[in-house]
Amino acid sequence: MAQLIISVGREFGSGGRVIAEELAKRFNIQLYDRHLITEIANKTGMSPEEIEKLNEAPNSRLMSRRVRGFSNSIEDNIAEMQFDFIQKRAESGESFVVVGRCSETKLKQFPGLVSLFILGDMDAKIKRVMEIYEMNEHDAKSFIEKKDKKRKRYHNYHVGLHWGDSRLYDLSINSSRLGIEKTIDYLEQYIKARAAALENK
Amino acid sequence: MLAAQIFAVVIFVAMFILIVLDKIERHYVTLGCGALTLVVVFGICMRSGTAVWNTLAIKGFATKEFWYQVTESESKGINWATIVFIAGMMVMVEGMAKAGFFRWLCMRIAFLVKCKTIPIFITFMVMSAVLSMFIDSITVIMFLAAVTVELAQLLKFNPIPMILSEIFCANLGGSATMCGDPPNIIVGTSMGFSFFDFLMNTGAIAGICLVFCIIFFYFAFRKELVDKNAAPVDMSKFPAPSEAITNKKDFVISSIIFGIAVVLLVTHSMTHLTVASIGTFIAVITLIANAKDAVELLKKVDYKTLLFFIGLFIVVCGLEETGILKYIADFISDISGGNIMLMVAIILWLSAIASAFVDNIPFAATMVPIIQSLAPIVVASGADPNTLAWALSIGTDIGGSATPIGASANVVGTSVAAKNGYPISWGRYCAKLAPATVIVLALSTVYIFVRYL
Repeated sequence: MAQLIISVGREFGSGGRVIAEELAKRFNIQLYDRHLITEIANKTGMSPEEIEKLNEAPNSRLMSRRVRGFSNSIEDNIAEMQFDFIQKRAESGESFVVVGRCSETKLKQFPGLVSLFILGDMDAKIKRVMEIYEMNEHDAKSFIEKKDKKRKRYHNYHVGLHWGDSRLYDLSINSSRLGIEKTIDYLEQYIKARAAALENK
Repeated sequence: MLAAQIFAVVIFVAMFILIVLDKIERHYVTLGCGALTLVVVFGICMRSGTAVWNTLAIKGFATKEFWYQVTESESKGINWATIVFIAGMMVMVEGMAKAGFFRWLCMRIAFLVKCKTIPIFITFMVMSAVLSMFIDSITVIMFLAAVTVELAQLLKFNPIPMILSEIFCANLGGSATMCGDPPNIIVGTSMGFSFFDFLMNTGAIAGICLVFCIIFFYFAFRKELVDKNAAPVDMSKFPAPSEAITNKKDFVISSIIFGIAVVLLVTHSMTHLTVASIGTFIAVITLIANAKDAVELLKKVDYKTLLFFIGLFIVVCGLEETGILKYIADFISDISGGNIMLMVAIILWLSAIASAFVDNIPFAATMVPIIQSLAPIVVASGADPNTLAWALSIGTDIGGSATPIGASANVVGTSVAAKNGYPISWGRYCAKLAPATVIVLALSTVYIFVRYL
């Protein structure tokens, strides 16, 4: 089977992570999300909780500086370690699913890349976040906005392109339309078609 | 003139903000702001072709003084001597790095001290300071920090204290010579100083402070570095220094070229060769010696930094030509009430505080015309006319050590540490380096007061 890399960008609360997990199961390939955090934690000696706080986080503009590709920001260095990790996995020929980490752009040169962006209606996202995190509606909305703002700044800083812009992804899909299960089914069909096209090349 | 002054200030402030925000690459920022200065300030507001011509200073290349200078003179406009010298040294450093010179030197010294942690700690601090006297601190720290991490993993010690000390000493060593740190090159070429002038003035200060630093960092970090339960060092497991050399012939050639560069710099007040000639000569012999890889070496030159300098000098010229820097100089003179001690303290500490948070290169480039304006007051008081220049150099070079973003070496050192699994937070960095910076600045202030005033 040719290499398959599924990159899943997502809005917070859209179910992107669950979709990525299920796709990894259905295609029987490794999922890189939480794994990337433990990987960096092992390498740096920091706790996974500390890494989690700095994961997919933008740097503090006034507290960080970049010189010839080097940055003093721990957030930037953690991000770059994760980019290096997925780059090396991709170069090794491994097939995997990766959640976020600007992977749709960072792994663009690999022909086996299928890049997806999962979005959702705000009402549906609020409902989901209220259930999972046991929050009221107001807090859930603020939480979503805060998380998405963070992801957007992180993405745009590291790749200089707009997070969520449909032109960056092979497919952008609103998970609120079909629901998460049917969205996964639909994506599975799409990815199979892409994999088949790749095999026939 | 008022409109020109307003635009010059607005462009300068916008440039600084954009550099700090780091949203647009800094060479685009300075070049864009430089172009605006030429068009809006000099062209539209001042309608002065002479100002544009003076700022671009291209005719300087054709003058004998640019390459060979018997009497020291001050320069104005884009400081091409700085740019040509830095470019030349970049080519040389690329040649040295390619041959494995830096890694070999680090490993050689580690072997000389039998790979024992504390002796490595002390010798690497000294090496960091000495190398930074001649080579840009970014390159020094890039290699030194990487070898420190490697040794730390073999010898089982925490590399962070050692990397922090190396960063501090690189900035300190850079302050000792004219070519050690970009602010010094700017000060030196603008005011007509020689390598030896720096060595005898800022070099003396740096030397005294280095002794202090070694003692300070030893006591500050010794508990983190010494492991009483550590097993004896088995040096046979370590990579031999010779393994670092990628090509023996290239290694010998690059070492010779480095030696020539040092000799030319140390003797340039006697040979009358300017730093621009030395930079050009070193680059040319490096390229001839590495003829096969000449294109590759040229491609590795950090053109972005050179372009950054060009734009920066134009923007600063905007402030100078419109008289803004003269106002600032008068303001400093007024608040110090003609008291030279106070003036020195303001220049040194203001430069240091600014350099701890913003790039020290734009700051130094801005301050040079200001201290030139203040020079007559210093002379009138009977003090050494160059006192303010030494205060500016020390302030900008040393002040940058206080925070992780103050100088390029700090950013590179902390980044190399983080990428190898040793992240350094602001708190961790500032806990020891900020007090060391303040103490070294205080020592330098006292030294300048005693020696020059």
